[in-house]
Amino acid sequence: MNKAAAEQSGTLILKASISRWKRWGWSALLLGLAPACLGAANGFQESALPFLEKHCYECHGGKKTKADLDLKQIRDDGRLLQDLKLWRGVLHQVNTGEMPPTKQPVQPTPEEITRFNQALEDSIAAAEAKLPLDPGRVTARRLNRTEYNNTVHDLLDVDFNASENFPADDVGYGFDNIGDVLSLSPVHLERYLDAAEGLAERAVVLKLPKPPERTTYSIFLEPGGYGSEDGTRPVTNAVPELFVRHTLKDSGLYRFRVRAGASNAAAGEPVRMTLRVGDREVLTAIVTNAPKKWEAFELELELPAGEHRFSALWTNRDTNVVGQTLYINEFKVVGPKDTRTPFMKRVDAIAPEAGDEQRAEDLVQWFLTRAFRRPPTPEERARYGKVFAAGRAAAEGKWEGGMQELVRSALVSPKFLFRVELDSQPQAVAPQAIDDYQLASRLSYFLWSTMPDEELLDVASKQQLGTQLEAQVQRLLRDPKSSALVENFGMQWLQIQRLATFQPDSQLFPAFDEGLRRAMLRETELFLTEIIRDDRSLLDLVDADFTYVNRPLARHYGIESAAFPEGGGKRRKHGEFVRVSLPDRQRGGLLTHASILTATSNPTRTSPVKRGKWVLEQILGTPPPPAPPNVPQLDAQKELTGTLRQRMEQHRSNPACANCHRQMDALGFAFENFDAIGRFRERDADGMIDPAGTLPDGRSFQGSADLRLILRDKKDLVARNMAEKLLTYSLGRGLEYYDERALRKILAEVARSEYRFSSLVISIVQSDPFRWRRGLGAAAAVPAADRPKGGS
Amino acid sequence: MSKPITLSRRTLLRGIGTTLALPWLDAMGPLTGWADGATPVAQAAPNRMAFLYVPNGINMADWKPSAEGPLSAELPSILQPLAAHRGDFSILTGLTADKARANGDGGGDHARALSAFLTGTQPRKTDGADIRAGISVDQVAAARLGDRTRLASLEIGSEAGSMAGNCDSGYSCVYSSTMAWRSATQPLPKEVNPKLVFERLFGSGSREERMRRDARRASVLDLVKNDFADLNGNLGRGDQRKLDEYFSAVRDLELRIERAAHLPEPVVPAGAAAPVGVPESYEEHLRLMADLMVLAFQTDSTRVCTFVLANEGSGKPYPFIGVSEGHHDLSHHGDNADKKAKIAKINRFHATQLAYLLERMKSVKEGDGTLLDHTMLAYGSGNSDGNAHNHDDLPILLAGRGCGTLNPGHHTVYSKETPLNNLWLSLLNRMDISVQHLGDSTGELKNI
Repeated sequence: MNKAAAEQSGTLILKASISRWKRWGWSALLLGLAPACLGAANGFQESALPFLEKHCYECHGGKKTKADLDLKQIRDDGRLLQDLKLWRGVLHQVNTGEMPPTKQPVQPTPEEITRFNQALEDSIAAAEAKLPLDPGRVTARRLNRTEYNNTVHDLLDVDFNASENFPADDVGYGFDNIGDVLSLSPVHLERYLDAAEGLAERAVVLKLPKPPERTTYSIFLEPGGYGSEDGTRPVTNAVPELFVRHTLKDSGLYRFRVRAGASNAAAGEPVRMTLRVGDREVLTAIVTNAPKKWEAFELELELPAGEHRFSALWTNRDTNVVGQTLYINEFKVVGPKDTRTPFMKRVDAIAPEAGDEQRAEDLVQWFLTRAFRRPPTPEERARYGKVFAAGRAAAEGKWEGGMQELVRSALVSPKFLFRVELDSQPQAVAPQAIDDYQLASRLSYFLWSTMPDEELLDVASKQQLGTQLEAQVQRLLRDPKSSALVENFGMQWLQIQRLATFQPDSQLFPAFDEGLRRAMLRETELFLTEIIRDDRSLLDLVDADFTYVNRPLARHYGIESAAFPEGGGKRRKHGEFVRVSLPDRQRGGLLTHASILTATSNPTRTSPVKRGKWVLEQILGTPPPPAPPNVPQLDAQKELTGTLRQRMEQHRSNPACANCHRQMDALGFAFENFDAIGRFRERDADGMIDPAGTLPDGRSFQGSADLRLILRDKKDLVARNMAEKLLTYSLGRGLEYYDERALRKILAEVARSEYRFSSLVISIVQSDPFRWRRGLGAAAAVPAADRPKGGS
Repeated sequence: MSKPITLSRRTLLRGIGTTLALPWLDAMGPLTGWADGATPVAQAAPNRMAFLYVPNGINMADWKPSAEGPLSAELPSILQPLAAHRGDFSILTGLTADKARANGDGGGDHARALSAFLTGTQPRKTDGADIRAGISVDQVAAARLGDRTRLASLEIGSEAGSMAGNCDSGYSCVYSSTMAWRSATQPLPKEVNPKLVFERLFGSGSREERMRRDARRASVLDLVKNDFADLNGNLGRGDQRKLDEYFSAVRDLELRIERAAHLPEPVVPAGAAAPVGVPESYEEHLRLMADLMVLAFQTDSTRVCTFVLANEGSGKPYPFIGVSEGHHDLSHHGDNADKKAKIAKINRFHATQLAYLLERMKSVKEGDGTLLDHTMLAYGSGNSDGNAHNHDDLPILLAGRGCGTLNPGHHTVYSKETPLNNLWLSLLNRMDISVQHLGDSTGELKNI
């Protein structure tokens, strides 16, 4: 902003200073690391104010308000908590040496900085201690597309992308599961009606189909290429066994039927035919009918899903009996016999002995408990009982009609579509613990992106979830469904969905194709999966000595021979991923994944700024402030020249840009050895690449390997960032100042547990914001002007 | 309601030769609202409104005609693809979307540009909680006219709403992907799949099937309203707002079902076939969406449409016209001539699609003229120069004759800081919707 504009909008400065800064989310580098004791608690007024007066107000106080920041306006410590993020930003800048700028003649001494830290931290802690418990309040969350799909899959046992046609879900705070942001338009409701109708008919089939038949005429029996006549085939010396293979989708009861006949059957021993499934002899029979007067031989047997070989043999062939031959006309494999849908089987198993009325009630109760993720109220039972009865009457008394109608209706109810957490005491002033069913839903949608399973509902019904929380979290994390955490949380946190539509210039990067794109994403998914499954340290995210590659990605990384040694190891399926260790430190951790390197590039070249910004935002949780509006045009006379790095440095000579870009660019250039699709390179078009740099705090590095070590060392920032992101995702709301206390507890626990992933999840799940809900009181404790939006 | 005389569609079709079914025509059904005396006598067809949006500003040097007055054949390079239609559109220069400016909210010009474009309201800077802009001009029209057509309005685009993360400096993605706001707090998602747009317009199945389905849906909606009532009043403010959205969607569908029962059958014009999905090619995608908009107007399925050609801040590259850099990155051109030329290329590409749409609208004959004669189509961006992110001097093009209420074919320069919303207000009045204020409007816009 130029000076004139700044003066013009002078009256707006305060508003801007608060609103802009609040959103930065700078976190304190030294959080919790400041020397524990510097004497008694220094008040904000005594220790913080002199520092601000001496070092900050010249540019950020009253007359001058650079970067729209007026620290003088917010001097009283009553506002500390509301403006916590701002103060953390101030601390961060001071601690990293970004502020005051080096050009200032008077620089704070290390002691001054330490005292300033201590004063602020103490004041914050003191203010926090006075704060009543405020767990916040989560706005009712509409199921997003992923959650909807997973939920109906678990509820109805259907495999169907029901949400394919739903409008895209909007994103807030980086995630697509934020209650406040997930809106519901008429188009949504129209699609919900459509989906509910389609799902009801898939889950419950009124007229059961006949079991599928697989008929193989003799000429199509294996082994092929043999002469056949009149639709028959002889079983001969050369071909003593005729067979067919079928891949069965479902396990169940199957009928295997063979039509056979024998010529000259009466001449010698009776012709004995054996039917086999796999290696198992399942039937032996005497064939007496002549060919064309086919006789059918059949049996029923239980078969698991998968490929099976069905065959017929002539077991007592005697070549001395002239003219005696066994002929096969056809094979038939019919089944599975039970064509009920999986959902119908489940329903049939519920209260099968009960009388009609009772059973109807039981079914409604059973279904609504799952659809609404809690037991229905008496009114709901009555309301949906009528729906069930009407559907049943229309289907001539069959329960299937009732269930279909029930599904069709319940799936459009706000109680299904939203995760509503109703208060048992809506007028309570104090915060309330959410009930066990609500907790079960929070848990399952957090870790699985789907409804609670039977066990969770069962534990909730006994009100034991609170005491079993840790065990349940471990169980949920071990379950394959926890891949949802990688796919939904992980991919959004890393912001690499962008890769899905990213189009690198095909002239410059012919190596990039769909296969490589998928492989890049898969690598990151597998990497995150290992962090979760093996409960590794969060710090491994930043730097690790392993990754996953398939052959194209290994080639891309130049490690094909190491990952897929010639002759060594077993045969790999096409496209299969293997875990590789990365001893040479060229790559390691998310920052060197091709997915992220590509997603933070431009179509034609790398973007060190985007990469630097990505590290600050996604890994350290210290996003740079937005670029000042109306950045002055670079002097047209002064055409930027030289390498990309030199051009960036010229760009940075503009003081409006310098401060933030110094850090962003240094971080980004460290990864210049990776091109715009993440390939390693020594040089680019401008010559040898120089990935070395220095961070504002003075730490230097030679390249990305060094930098990764430095970043890995920023344990508190990395952990705090992860905790903030994961807590946001788990709650479905943005974090507010009153969540700070919970965050601190979470971080202390995580540090104690050596940054293990599960410790983060468990401490989140046990935190106040996850288990409690604000009553009417806490909101009133906050000044009206700052009352968080969305609460009651 | 008095029963109108009903003409058979066959008679009508025979009478007007090649013209397709005209479901809006008075005698064909009870859609009499627009013609019951309030409108000029000359108006034989309903007036429609369409709003098309292109992101990241325009290379203004190649957009703005050199002089005021009638458009000459020497159009600036971006507008050249529209040369054949130069009698059918005007360029309005100097309009401002003040609410797209920071006004103390800092960065986020892309998010604000789109969400303030039709609302004239300062969007609330939030990444999540309490999304708020204002009701958009199209939705004001939809609220007033929506009961006359099967769909109150149609929202289409080429890029779905959701993008990763906060999309622009602390603004939720909803702002940079949504043009239509049903209310200050309810953004309307756009449909990007042509197949689904077609199904919304013409439904699926026979009339009997549809009626059966509608009846069943009406009873489901009846039921779930009770579920809503259980919750209603027992919720916190945020919850209540979400549930209100639900309820208003239920009401909307109920009304639509009621209307469908007595509105004429939607007829798919000859030659129009249901699209199968989203085309690979961006150009084809845009053209298909344009076709659908034409189809929607032509069949009087709706009279209000918004069409976002690409989300604001879109980083889409345009390799098929020789621009492999991302649009947004390019728009920060730093006055580099090469980059500006490439932006102009993208602008020209979009203008080419607009030319296609105008051509299509002119090919549809309706009563005393063409569909374009009975439409008011605004095209433009809420950013002027993508590098400066300025929201004054916006690129705005207004096409069509609005049933004789517009006088296209010229370039008009308005005084600095004339609110863009003055234009919207003037368009509303041409739809016989009398509104005193809309967003930051200060009055009607003259000479359009």
